[in-house]
Amino acid sequence: MSRLLSIALAPIRGVGRKFSDVSFQTGGIVLLALAIARRFFPPKIDMRELKRHLYAMGNRSVLVVAFSSFFVGVTMVVQATILVQELGAYSLVGWGAAYIVLRELGPIFVALMFSGRVGANNTADLATMVITEQVDGLRALSIDPISYLIVPRVIAMVIMCFILTIMGNTVAMVGAAIMADLMLNIDMYVFWKGVHDLTKLSDMWLGLEKSVVFGLIIAMSSSFYGLNVTGGAPGVGKAVNASVVTSAVGIFMSDYILTFIIG
Amino acid sequence: MGAVISMQGVAKRFGARLALDSVTFEVPEGCFHGLVGPGAAGKSVLVRIAAGLIVPERGSVSVLGVDIGGLGQVELQRVRSKIGMLFQGNALFDYMTVGENVAFPLRRLTNMNEDEIRENVEERLARVGLGGFSERDPASLSGGQKKRVGIARATIVRQPLIIYDDPTAGLDPVTASRIFEILREEQETTGATVLAISSDVDSLVKYADRIAIMDRGVMHYHGPLRDAYDAADPFVGGFLRGEWRSA
Repeated sequence: MSRLLSIALAPIRGVGRKFSDVSFQTGGIVLLALAIARRFFPPKIDMRELKRHLYAMGNRSVLVVAFSSFFVGVTMVVQATILVQELGAYSLVGWGAAYIVLRELGPIFVALMFSGRVGANNTADLATMVITEQVDGLRALSIDPISYLIVPRVIAMVIMCFILTIMGNTVAMVGAAIMADLMLNIDMYVFWKGVHDLTKLSDMWLGLEKSVVFGLIIAMSSSFYGLNVTGGAPGVGKAVNASVVTSAVGIFMSDYILTFIIG
Repeated sequence: MGAVISMQGVAKRFGARLALDSVTFEVPEGCFHGLVGPGAAGKSVLVRIAAGLIVPERGSVSVLGVDIGGLGQVELQRVRSKIGMLFQGNALFDYMTVGENVAFPLRRLTNMNEDEIRENVEERLARVGLGGFSERDPASLSGGQKKRVGIARATIVRQPLIIYDDPTAGLDPVTASRIFEILREEQETTGATVLAISSDVDSLVKYADRIAIMDRGVMHYHGPLRDAYDAADPFVGGFLRGEWRSA
């Protein structure tokens, strides 16, 4: 009887355990965010570390973001071709591409690439520093790991996610314009005139505001899982996996909320 | 001679495992103090508590005359800045060169200019037998060389208390003996108080003035090395003579 009851309750226990894990992780990320925010009053930013991370994160992501974004723009026009030809809405292709890229696809796509490239690397880097006692080494040298390690990384990730989104959006639009010319024979002038006449500045700003939030989510999630790694070297892989998944979930959730509130 | 580290009834638990059980322990000023014991005895936990890296559940801990229990982060950092520490895994920053690793405490804890820092780093590296290694990457060094870099970094600010967490772990007996020679020479030169954990009892007892012996979170002996062999606790003599066997 008790065995049957135990089997019957197993799914509830599983859900409870999962809920407890998610609560712990969310609480941990919020506490880390508060700890970081405290370091801004007064600001304690290690400029040497900030420059190092800005360079490393930007340098690491520029090519991959540019390459992928180009194909986002290209694919969008390929998908739209049949509809545009049926409706004859050639002059709206530029506006359509800009609307989708600037408001939605650009920021999301760049954030996901950034998370996979920079966020994962940040988690692995911090986790390795934890398991090889480098973080304890800093504390033993009376250096605050949050100020020295985390704050410059968070600032660098937010700045770089923003800059890469601008770059990604631009490259995606160029890709879309080239493809529109090649597949639909839409002249570059007509394409860019559509963009210029119908796209609002608020479309661009919405996407850029999203990129700042996405950068922050990636920074917080990747730093949290890196600092809280357990289980030695195998734990590093698990931490990276958890960081990328949490970032992706956070990006999609916040995208919905931001679109709903300000979009 | 006052106590640089003083612990009274210190206890620490990790989940169900009792890592330290009411440990009382003192390290007098200016001595080379060894801390030995079998694996999972609680040695690393004890030195991390002394360095303010782990907070004990019970008991009081005084380091360099300051009761560190209940200190805020800023006050704790002030105490830590007077402690040099070498970790078991060396904790060298892998994104820095050897020279940058050794220079790091000077850049952070002192107002020295770059010329003075460079001069000090070269002197320190030469002292541990690594002159000319400044531009090398830590990943390119052998285990013994990494330890020496760690020692150079732990001692460069010349703090009054230096803690070495198993400085000879994973090293061959010849290299281990040379590392202890360096630590002892360094201690005699600077007059700093040293607390060194080691699983290499035979090497450590050649250089230590005092010794502490732990097992499973319990302090079995702490005092002058010469008296340890005649200690009332049979575990102490047995462990030092290598007659102790893991259960």
